[in-house]
Amino acid sequence: MPPTSNEERLAEILSQCMAELIAELGIAAKHIPGVQPHLATHGSTTAFSGFGSGDLRGSFTLTGPSAVFSRLHPLPPTVTLRDLADWACELVNQATGRFRNRLLAYGVRLAMGVPQSVLSDEVRLSSSLRPGRSPISFAVDDMILEGWLELEIKPGFQLPENPSAENAEALKEGSLVFF
Amino acid sequence: MGNKTVLIIDDSITVRQQVSLTLTSAGYHILEACDGQEGVDCVRAHAEIAMVLCDLNMPRMSGLEFLETIKGTAPAPPVPVVILTTDGSPDLIGRAKRAGAKGWIVKPFQADLLLAAVRRIAGTSSS
Repeated sequence: MPPTSNEERLAEILSQCMAELIAELGIAAKHIPGVQPHLATHGSTTAFSGFGSGDLRGSFTLTGPSAVFSRLHPLPPTVTLRDLADWACELVNQATGRFRNRLLAYGVRLAMGVPQSVLSDEVRLSSSLRPGRSPISFAVDDMILEGWLELEIKPGFQLPENPSAENAEALKEGSLVFF
Repeated sequence: MGNKTVLIIDDSITVRQQVSLTLTSAGYHILEACDGQEGVDCVRAHAEIAMVLCDLNMPRMSGLEFLETIKGTAPAPPVPVVILTTDGSPDLIGRAKRAGAKGWIVKPFQADLLLAAVRRIAGTSSS
């Protein structure tokens, strides 16, 4: 069934952004719908970033075993734990950046925060769904990259049904322009 | 004449490494800064910098603040700056252009396009 609520549709857009990003890294990953039981792991990496506009605000968190971030790292032979935390932040940054770029076509202009990361023996996120919280997770090899989108949406806000040509269009990822 | 120097300003170590790898393999000398303020200090300390690749969303000082700061204080003509960011918003692109940026690249970058941009702005590595 196609997503219907604002939250479901925004989660679907962010999920597509994550899928594109992982594919561009040359890694095969499978989107996992629904809630995943949190897998306690030794050596977790977590990164998150906030964003907001007049109508909505929220955050996106990525967490998983450090090995999954190592698998996704573009320069794997050189990585340290510090590099993995940095790369987790950059993944969140690039995923939310795409999200912001896609939402421009719906007339939504998001301001972005600076991503932060946490390295820990074990990071535990509540796996219970609450309103405004959507899981966006991927299977990478035999590991889970767990993502959570949290949203607070102003009452009365409705995401337009489709992107509109009347709204500003963002420059596509990978583009280069000279002035 | 020595190799051309390019300053990379980005709070991500990984992005700085990716850019550095691309440009050093083409013969450029690289300097790195992790935010706009460190970038300003670096531009003031290194007159040999031929161009700057600068992220936008960084702690302490953003890429736009960096552009506006060096526009007022850098030696004339100011060092050319190309923005390297995840943001593709026309509003921000317009602001950067007005602040003196010479180009805009949306991450993730393609190595050949990045190199083309650097060659166009800074010249070939040892010219």
